[in-house]
Amino acid sequence: MALPDPNAVSWYEATARQRLSAFLDAGTFVEFLGPAERRMSPHLPLFDLPRAFDDGIVTGRGTLDGKPVLIAAQEGRFMGGAFGEVHGGKLVGLLRAALDVKPDAVLILLDTGGVRLQEANAGETAIAETMRAIVDARAAGVPVIGLIGGRSGCYGGGGLIAGTCSRLAVSESGRISVSGPEVIETNKGAEEFDSRDRALVWRTMGGKHRRLIGGADAYVDDSVSAFRAAALDLIGHAPAFDLATLDAEQARLESRLVRFGDCRDATEIWARLGVNDPDAIPSMTTAAFAETVAGVTEASHDAR
Amino acid sequence: MVDWRKQRADRDARIAAGRAHSDGRSGGKVVAAASVVDLLEAVLKPGDRVCLEGDNQKQADCLARGLSACDPAKIHDLHMVQSGIVLPEHLDVFEQGIAKRLDYSYSGPQGGRIAKMLYGGQIELGAVHTYLELFARYFVDLTPNVALIAGVSADRDGNLYTGPNTEDTPTVVEATAFKNGVVIAQVNEIVEKVPRVDIPGDRVDFVVEADRPFYVEPLFTRDPAAMTETQILMAMMAIKGIYAEYGIRRLNHGIGFGTAAIELLLPTYGERLGLKGKIATHWALNPHPTLIPAIESGWVEQVHCFGSEVGMDRYIRERPDVFFTGADGSLRSNRAFCQTAGLYACDMFIGATLQIDLMGHSSTITTNRVAGFGGAPNMGSDPHGRRHPSDTWMKAGREAQITGDPALMRGRKLVVQLVETFGDKLVPTFVERLDALELAKKIGLELAPVMIYGDDVTHIVTEEGIANLLLCRDADEREQAIRGVAGYTEVGRGRDKAKVEELRSRGIVRRPEDLGIEPLDADRSLLAARSIKDLAHWSGGLYEPPARFRNW
Repeated sequence: MALPDPNAVSWYEATARQRLSAFLDAGTFVEFLGPAERRMSPHLPLFDLPRAFDDGIVTGRGTLDGKPVLIAAQEGRFMGGAFGEVHGGKLVGLLRAALDVKPDAVLILLDTGGVRLQEANAGETAIAETMRAIVDARAAGVPVIGLIGGRSGCYGGGGLIAGTCSRLAVSESGRISVSGPEVIETNKGAEEFDSRDRALVWRTMGGKHRRLIGGADAYVDDSVSAFRAAALDLIGHAPAFDLATLDAEQARLESRLVRFGDCRDATEIWARLGVNDPDAIPSMTTAAFAETVAGVTEASHDAR
Repeated sequence: MVDWRKQRADRDARIAAGRAHSDGRSGGKVVAAASVVDLLEAVLKPGDRVCLEGDNQKQADCLARGLSACDPAKIHDLHMVQSGIVLPEHLDVFEQGIAKRLDYSYSGPQGGRIAKMLYGGQIELGAVHTYLELFARYFVDLTPNVALIAGVSADRDGNLYTGPNTEDTPTVVEATAFKNGVVIAQVNEIVEKVPRVDIPGDRVDFVVEADRPFYVEPLFTRDPAAMTETQILMAMMAIKGIYAEYGIRRLNHGIGFGTAAIELLLPTYGERLGLKGKIATHWALNPHPTLIPAIESGWVEQVHCFGSEVGMDRYIRERPDVFFTGADGSLRSNRAFCQTAGLYACDMFIGATLQIDLMGHSSTITTNRVAGFGGAPNMGSDPHGRRHPSDTWMKAGREAQITGDPALMRGRKLVVQLVETFGDKLVPTFVERLDALELAKKIGLELAPVMIYGDDVTHIVTEEGIANLLLCRDADEREQAIRGVAGYTEVGRGRDKAKVEELRSRGIVRRPEDLGIEPLDADRSLLAARSIKDLAHWSGGLYEPPARFRNW
C-alpha cells in the first residue's frame, strides 16, 4: 500500500487558517472581522473558559480559480468548532452579504460539534439564522457549498446546516450527522449504538456512507487540493433552488425511510443499494470507491 | 516416620475429585464450560493460594466468572496471588467472601474500587508488587495451590497453545505444576493438534473450553491523531538530548503518548539527525503499533515482548527477523523474561508518570486510586546486580560518580521521566508531596507506593527542558533542577532563578534552544504516521486495528 503524499496538506490535520490559505488562490484572501478586532465571545468568561480572538471561525472573501467567492472556515480545535453568538453571527453576516455581493459561491468549511453548551440559546439561534440565510442566498442564485473533513466532523446544528447547502463535498474523515455517537449512546444505550466502536461510527456517519446514500455529492481525498477541485466542480453543478427541487428531495427522503428504515447496519443499506461487497467499502481506496459510487443511482440525488 | 508426600497426595486427591466433572474421554482432562463451577468447587479448598491469571492484557475470564459463582460456604478465605486485578470478578470474590487475602501487582481499571475495599477492610492485603517480584515469590513463599490460566487452544492431552499473548502463563505454570499444585486452563477451543506447544500437557491437569475467547485489552495502542505538538517537542528533546548523546541502542518505552511520539519521530526527525542504526535498535517492548514506521524504515533490529497487542498478530508473523516467533509463525511473548531483559539488558527506560516530587520520587497513585505497579519499577530502576558494560551505561556512570576510585566505577542505567508539567485536566505533575503518601497513611500501607524512587531517576524531560539529575551534586541542586523544568506549576514557580541559570550554564538544565531545537518546528507533520490508518498503510495492510481505533 502506498502512503499518502506527505507533501500534500492534509485537510484533517490543517487548522482553519491553513485550510483557507492553501485552498484559495494564493494571496487573495481578505478577512472580515479578523482576530485583530477581538470580537470574542461575551459568554465564555462567565464560565472561566478561554476565548479565541476570532471566536473559532474565519470569514472573508477571495477567489477560487479566479472566481470571486465568500468563504467561512470553522476551527474545529477551538471548542470543537461549536457555534456561539459571535461565531454564528460572523457566518450569518457572511451569508447575508452574499445577497449584495453576489459571489460565484459561498463556501463553508464546516468543522463543528454543533452548538456551544455555554451559550446554547445564542448558538441555537445562530443555527436557525444560518439556515435561513443559506436559503435566501440560494434563492438569490448563489450556490452554497459545504466542505466537510475536519476533526470535529459536522454534528448537531452543523448537520442541519449541511442539509440546507446546495452541494456537499466530504472526505473519509468527515462525518455528518445531527446526534453524535455519544449522544445516541447516552440516550439509547450502548446496545443500540456503541460510540467506542469507531468503525461503526464511520459506517453510520462517515464520508463514504453519506456519499453512497446521496447525502454528500462528492467524496474526496483528505487533501486541500482535492477539496479545492471538488468545490470548483460542485459550484458548476449546483441544483436549482425551486419548488420542484424541494418536492423531489422530500419524495426521496420519504422513499429512503421506506427502503432502508429496517436496516440495522449501514452495510445492509449498501447491499440494498446494489453494492456487491459491502464489507469492503470501509477499506476501499478513493479510486475504487468512485467506481462503486458510479454504479449506485441514489448517490446522485439531492436529498440529504 | 515422616510423610514426605503429603502435598503430592493432596494434589492427587484434588485431581481425582476434578476428574468426576470431565467429559470422561481420553484421560478426563477436558471439562465443559458449563461444569466450571463444579470443577472449581471440587479442586479448590478453603484457604488455598490461587493464581487467577490476569495481567494488564489477557484474562482467564471464563474461570474468573466460574470462581465468582462458587459457593462461599464451600470455597472461602482464598489467598489470591496474581499479576492483575482487572476484571470486576477479581474483586467480586472478595466481596462474596470467597477470597480474603491478596498479593498482586497491577490494578489499572479497578484502581478506584480496590482502594475503597482496602479502606473498608474487605481485602487483607499482603503487598503490591512489581511483576518480577510477584513472579519471584511464586517460587519462594507465594507458590499457588491452584493456577487458573488462559490459552488459545489445547489438545485433549492438555498441550497448550498460548499464542501471541503467552505473557505470564509459563511462569505461573512452572511454579504451580512443579510444586504439587493443580493447573486448570481455559482455552478458546479444543483442537486435534495445537499449532505449537507453549505448555506441555503433563503440566496441565484440566482444560476448559471457554464459552467465549479470552479477553485481551488493547493497552498499548496510541492513536497518532491524538498526539499534541507539546508531546512532539518533548520527543524531539529526548531524541536529541538523551538518545543521541548517550547512544542508546537497548531500551524500553512506557505506554504513554510521549514515548509513542518518539517512536513516530525516529524515521523522520531521527533520520534527519543521522541517528539511524546508532540508537533504538534493540528493544524490550510490547508490539506497539506506533513502532511500525520505525521497523519498516529499518531502524529496529529486534524486539522482545512482554505480551502481544490486539491487531498486531499478522504483522508480527510477517516480521520474524524482528520479533520472537515460534515454529508456527506467531509471536512468543513472555513477561518474566522480558521484564528481566528490561531490567538487566536495557540501558534506558523512559516513561511517564502522574506525580513527581522535589526529590524526583514519582507515583501514578492518586488519593482515590491504587493502580499498582506492573513492570515500571523494574524497568525504571538501576539494577545493582548488573555486571556487563556498555558505552551508554558507562557514560551515565561517569556523570554520576565524581568521588571514589575511578577503577571501581560502575555504570548507571538511564531512567527518564517524560512528563508534561500539567497533566490531564491541568492537574500539575510536579508536587511538593506525593498523594501516594496520603493514601498509604489512609489505608495503612507499611510501604508508600512509590513507582520510581528519586535515586533511580537520571533525567526528567518536560516541555520546558531536560533536567539531568546525574550531574547534580547535592540535594539542593537536584531540587532546583527539578523546579527548573517544572514550568508554571507551583513547584516550577518556586524555583531559585539564579540557581537554575547556574545549573543551565553547567548543562544540568537544558532548554530547547540549548539543544538547538526551535519549538515552532514541533509540528504534527513530523510524525511518520498521523493516524491509525497511516499505521495500517505503513504495515502494508498487515496491522488490523481494533474497531475502536478505526476512523474509517
